[in-house]
Parts: sequence; C-alpha cells; structure tokens
Amino acid sequence: MIPLLMAALVIRECARCHPAEAKAHPATSMARAMQHPAESLILQEHPVLAVKKGDYLYRIEKNLYTVTNGSASLTFPISWSFGLGDAGQTYVFERDGVPYESRVSFFRAIDGLDWTLGASDSSPANLLEAAGRQMGKQDAAQCFGCHSTPTAGSLAPGVQCERCHGSTEEHVATLKPMKKLRATDAEEISNFCGQCHRTWADIAGKGILGVNNVRFQPYRLANSKCFDVDDRRISCLGCHNPHQELDRNDAHYDAKCQACHAGGKPSAKACKVSQSNCVSCHMPKIEMPGSHYRFTDHQVRIARANDRYPN
Amino acid sequence: MKQAVEAQQAGNFDQAIRNYKILLEKYPNIAEIHSNLGAALAGEGRYADAIAEYERALKIKPNPQVSLNLGLAYYKAGQLAPAIATLSKLHREQPANLQALLVLADCHLQLGENKTVIELLTPAQKADPENATFNYLLGTALVRDRQTAQGQLIIDKILRNGDSAQARLLMGTTKLTVNDFSGALQDFTKAVELDPKLPDVYAYYGLALLATGDQPGAKKAFEQELKTNPNNFDANLQLGVLLRQDEENDRALQFFQHALEIRPGDFGVRYQIATVELAKGQLAQAQRDLERLVKEDPKFPEAHVSLATIYFRQKKKAEGERERAIVAQLNAEKQANSPALKAPQ
Repeated sequence: MIPLLMAALVIRECARCHPAEAKAHPATSMARAMQHPAESLILQEHPVLAVKKGDYLYRIEKNLYTVTNGSASLTFPISWSFGLGDAGQTYVFERDGVPYESRVSFFRAIDGLDWTLGASDSSPANLLEAAGRQMGKQDAAQCFGCHSTPTAGSLAPGVQCERCHGSTEEHVATLKPMKKLRATDAEEISNFCGQCHRTWADIAGKGILGVNNVRFQPYRLANSKCFDVDDRRISCLGCHNPHQELDRNDAHYDAKCQACHAGGKPSAKACKVSQSNCVSCHMPKIEMPGSHYRFTDHQVRIARANDRYPN
Repeated sequence: MKQAVEAQQAGNFDQAIRNYKILLEKYPNIAEIHSNLGAALAGEGRYADAIAEYERALKIKPNPQVSLNLGLAYYKAGQLAPAIATLSKLHREQPANLQALLVLADCHLQLGENKTVIELLTPAQKADPENATFNYLLGTALVRDRQTAQGQLIIDKILRNGDSAQARLLMGTTKLTVNDFSGALQDFTKAVELDPKLPDVYAYYGLALLATGDQPGAKKAFEQELKTNPNNFDANLQLGVLLRQDEENDRALQFFQHALEIRPGDFGVRYQIATVELAKGQLAQAQRDLERLVKEDPKFPEAHVSLATIYFRQKKKAEGERERAIVAQLNAEKQANSPALKAPQ
C-alpha cells in the first residue's frame, strides 16, 4: 500500500516563502490528480455508480468497487482515484498488495461509468480481469510517478511542489535555489512536462498516429509549424501557469499568440481573419474515441474542414 | 582408432578427443579422424573447434555427411549465415537429404526469412503431407508471413493428431499476428504446459505476456527460452529491451549484441544498441550509429526520432528540426496509406 501523506503537509513548508503559489496551487487539477476516495467529489456526488458492460455489472458504492457476472462477484475498497473526471476518473484498488486499474472509469460528459481508455480492446478471461488490469511494477511506477509526488520517503497525492522543483529538504537547509523552469528553453520545458504529458520523442518513437495522440500536448505542440525550440514564448509555460488552474477561456490565450503574431517575431504572420479567440480556430477541440472528452489539439495550425488529422 | 570410436560411442568425448589427437599426430591427413574428432568436440559443445576439424576433413576429402555435420555445428553455434551456406550447397547436391533441408529451413526461420522457408518446404511437404516436422516448420513460416489461411490448413492437419504444443504455438502465433493478444496468451500458456522444451515456446509466451502488460512475466519467459535456446532472436532482443527499460544498460547490451550475432546487421537491434548508448550518455557514439542506420534505411522513423533527440541535446537546432521534418514526412506517408488514419479531423 502506498503510504498516504497529506498534500497540505508538503506545501506548508513552501508556503512560508512562496505564499502566492502555495495558495493557488492546491485548487489546480494537477494538485488533485490523485486523491483518496473520500476526497473525490465525484464519488461524494454520486453515492451509487453502476453500469453493465458485456457480461459484467460494475457498481461503485461507499468507495467500494464491485464487479459481478450474475453468479459471482468481487468487491474491493478503492485505494485511489486518478483524475478529476473531465477526461475520466479511474480507480485503483489492490489485491494481495498488487495495484489494479479499474476496468471502468467515470466520465463527466456522460455523468457515469464507461470503459477505461484501452480496456475495451481486450476481453476479460475471468472475474478479476473483468474488475481491472493488473499494473506491473513499471506501469505502477509510471502511473503513481505522474499522479503523485515522491517526498521524504513517501508519496503525496497529486502533483505537488517537489514533483517539479525537486526536494525541499536541501533547499530549506541550504537555501540553494531550486529548479527554475522558466530559465529553460522550449524544448527542455516540453521534455520536462512531457515526462507525464508525453514528449515528442515518446509518441513519435512509438509511431502513435491519429486522433489517439491528441491528449499528448507536448508531442502535438512540437509538431506545430510555429514551435521553436529556442523560443520560450511557444513553450508549455509560455501559455500555462502550472501554479494556477487551467484557464479555459479562449480569449485568455490571445495575448500569447499575439506576442509573436503581432510583430513580435518577423517570421510569424498576422492572421487575416481575426485577432481574437485564436485558439478556437487554430487549436481545434477533438474528441478522442472512448474518452468522452474534447481535447484541445496543441498542434497549432491552419485547420481546414475535411483536412486529415495531422500526425 | 577403435578405442577412440568406442569412447565416443560410450559418450566419453574427452577420452575420444585425446585418442583422436594422438592419431592425428601420426596421420594428419586422414579425413575420417578429423571428422570423428569434430563430432566428439561437438558432443562436448565445443562447436568452434568442431567446425575447424570438419573443415579440415572436408579439405582432405569431400563427404556429404561431414558437410551436414559442419552445417549442424554452425547452426548449434548460432552462426546461421555459414550454416545456410554449407547446408544450401549440400541441399543442391543432395535434394533428397531431408535432415539438411530441415536444418536449412530452420536457419532461415530463425532469421525471419519466412518466404524462403515456404519456398524450400512447400515441394517437400506436398510430397510427404503427413510429415509432422515439415508441417510444423512450414506452418510456422506461413503464419509468421501472415499467410493465415494457408497456415490454418497446416494447423488443422497438425490438430488432427490431437492437441499438441506445436499446434498451440502455431495457433497462438496466428492470433498474435491479428493482435488477439489474450487469445494468443491462452494458446501459448497451453503450449508451455504441453511441452516446455519446445523451441521458441517461451519466447512467444513472453511476447504475449508483454503485449498483455505483464512485463515481469515476460522477462521470466524470455530468460526461460534462453536457458534451452540461447540463440532465439526474439528472446534476446526483447529481454534486452526490458533490461534497458529497467536501466540495466550493460546487461541489455549483452543481449542486443548476441541478437546481432544471430541476425547480423539487423536494423532493429542496431537501433536498440544506439538507444542504450543514448541512455548511457554516449551521444557521439549513438549519433554515429544512428546516422549510419538512417543512411542504410532512410525510412526508419524511430532512428530519426532518436537522432532528433540527440541533436537537440547538443543544441544543433537545424539538424534536430531536419530530423523532425523527416519524421513528419514519414508519418504523413503512413497516414496517406492507412484508411483509418485518413479520416478528416
């Protein structure tokens, strides 16, 4: 079992010197990327979740996850909830100390359960397989590595300060500066955020083509014509402040585009159509099959109707 | 000579080798002594020495049986290219020599040259349609070559003799080719139960475990294959990949290098070796190897991806962007040829 350390304890130390970041960050989706089931708003708002998929009935009630095939059933307490439901909330349970990923997840768009991404590709051979996918060591390390923060020999749920900036211990003791991401170039930032959101090399190397790669933003961004490895204005941090919740208002990003397209970069042309809501045309929202969610495509481009999805 | 032969027949290879060597001091030009010594050395697993003796014997006096033994020694030593050269010559001279044909076919199978196996075995299988060994090798080549319908006919033939590890291995391989990983896993599990010593069975079991997300299980399966079949290409390659993922780079390199000995020049293995170099921070070496690789195979996307990574790390922006553009072009070609990926956004 992964030892639980409250996120609040982790950031309290940081808040003494960095109050603005420490105040805003706990409310972000990244900070809540993994939660104890008791903290999951979705589970609180949905006392009972149930769905029948194939031969199996799935039910989540009082943080217990049950799968039944009519003649037998298995019930597990949910150990963790991963994600906040926009693109799915998946549950992790344990059996004999081994973590399993639930075969069904909650999706906000349908306000209910459906296959976890990838789960519909295989048919379960037994009830346990129907309940979830056993996570291998490396698999578990990757999932927990992105949805929690290693700190002082334990794990804090969610992406907390130390996940990006490194251990606070040495910093507090010596006041040595921590990792400052703003000083790195677009390529390095892309690779840094890509540790979880997937780098260009991760996806291009695996040859994952088509709309299934739309959720891998650093990969998509690096494929953009305007991506310049040396120019921080087109890096992840050029548009997003990870200490604050994602701004979903298209107009919020206009200034970011105009930083180059309003004369800030000679090679960047001005748009003949509009100077506002740039992302609504140039970063179309695309639904990935099975995700019940429309992801913003980060491959910035002139997207024409009936064009093939690039890359 | 009599004592030497008796010792050899009794399995006392060490004694036989000593006796043959004494004889050779007196009679260095008798081919039979060299070939017998070769056989005794092969009996001890000393294939390099056995090959040298067989070659000496053949220089003195050509003999089809010695040629076959030489081919077998190369095959057992994992030197598939000279094994193929020796056995092909013998097959041309003696087309009715079934043992030479089977070993030759298996060499090509191990090299992934499935079409050659099909060409070699189809006439022989037609002449002897119930021969289980022909059926198995030909069926394997057909399935691996994705000629599923013809492969299925052979599988049915094998199944008529009852459930067997061979049939299960073939059925599982067929399922792997159509990405039915859990179905393949069930067949390979059964094949392992029926005959755990069947060559390739653990390698394929490992591939199915890998495809269904059980990496620790796959690792054990590949290790198990290599215990009895150290020259299995897939097991060497995949075990290397798993070790590299676990950052055991030096061990990974050993398996990749052995895989490269089995299939010299294999692009996939050479790419994996370059990724180990990249992981070890040997950027210049990795760059050199990858540049050579893309020169030989300009449409190898993974190599271009790794090259881009190296160039960007070295702050060589123009070269990095060039590699990314090549990958984008290769992706566009792939998408244009794939109906599923052609769909509008």
